[in-house]
Amino acid sequence: MARFGTLNTAWMVWDSPAPAPEGAAVLEYTQELEKFLAEIERRAFRMAQVALRDADDALDVVQDAMLKLTRNYASRPSAEWRPLFYRILENGIRDLQRRRTVRKRVMTWLPGPKEDPDSEAQDPLENVADAAPAIPERLMQGQAMEQLERSLRALPARQREAFMLRNFEGMDVAETASAMACSEGSVKTHYSRAVHALRAQLGEVW
Amino acid sequence: MSEQDDNAFEVRSRALFQDSVEGLDMRIRSRLTQARSAALEAAATRRPWALGWKLWTPAAGVTAAAILGLALWMGSPPHHQAGTVADAQSNFEDLDLLASSDEGSGDALDMLQDDIDFYDFADKSANPGPAA
Repeated sequence: MARFGTLNTAWMVWDSPAPAPEGAAVLEYTQELEKFLAEIERRAFRMAQVALRDADDALDVVQDAMLKLTRNYASRPSAEWRPLFYRILENGIRDLQRRRTVRKRVMTWLPGPKEDPDSEAQDPLENVADAAPAIPERLMQGQAMEQLERSLRALPARQREAFMLRNFEGMDVAETASAMACSEGSVKTHYSRAVHALRAQLGEVW
Repeated sequence: MSEQDDNAFEVRSRALFQDSVEGLDMRIRSRLTQARSAALEAAATRRPWALGWKLWTPAAGVTAAAILGLALWMGSPPHHQAGTVADAQSNFEDLDLLASSDEGSGDALDMLQDDIDFYDFADKSANPGPAA
């Protein structure tokens, strides 16, 4: 299958006598991409939600990452999609967090009620009791996950990123390093520190 | 904290995360599906254009350079040619004037011939010779 990673390879294909039909190539890309995105999208959403504490913001960054991947990197080998996708996603999360920080600083200078949009106490849904009777075990799991999410948010961004990619997404060290654009040694360090920090925060009872 | 405890922690946190992923509500799932479809649609509509862009950009650049070079090369000669034509036109007009046989110009030599005595008189008056 002809792939166009760079302009040079595009020229090689341009010179080749029998290039693959464009329609067939597009169909193949699309099918592969759809399978990849369908497999990854829910975990990506949850990771973004953990980092951003907001479902709509998480959906936005996931959608943006999907668009950027399909537009700019669909021609890359499919093995590269996952680290690329998570690198785009993490950049989107970081950009959104920066914008929030700037907005928060601006809001402190403006008159009127000072609200913290990121405060968990501000989210009304979290204070609404669930009408459905919850199974105790399920409830405990939910609470444990909430605790874990809070602890993850308290971590430095790189540690949180390393932990989620390695543990939640199941990436190996090399893939994680590619996604985080750092060395494998850095990934190991970030991950190890994250695990110890989380365990220290959550305690032995968790 | 032992390595075994770390492993247990990792396993549990992974299981909790996976449970939370499985427990996503239909609204979120639906919006993710819509986002995926939109991304794939955007890619499908953009890719032929992007591919064409990649392939045709060098050719378009060469063509543009050729057109520019041709325009520069052709830009000067038309002015030069225009000047040449104008000069030629002027020359033709002069020739026409000289060759024209209308009244005034045709009789100029005759007029000069008729007044030869007057010019001779005028010359002698202006330059009187020594008295004989």
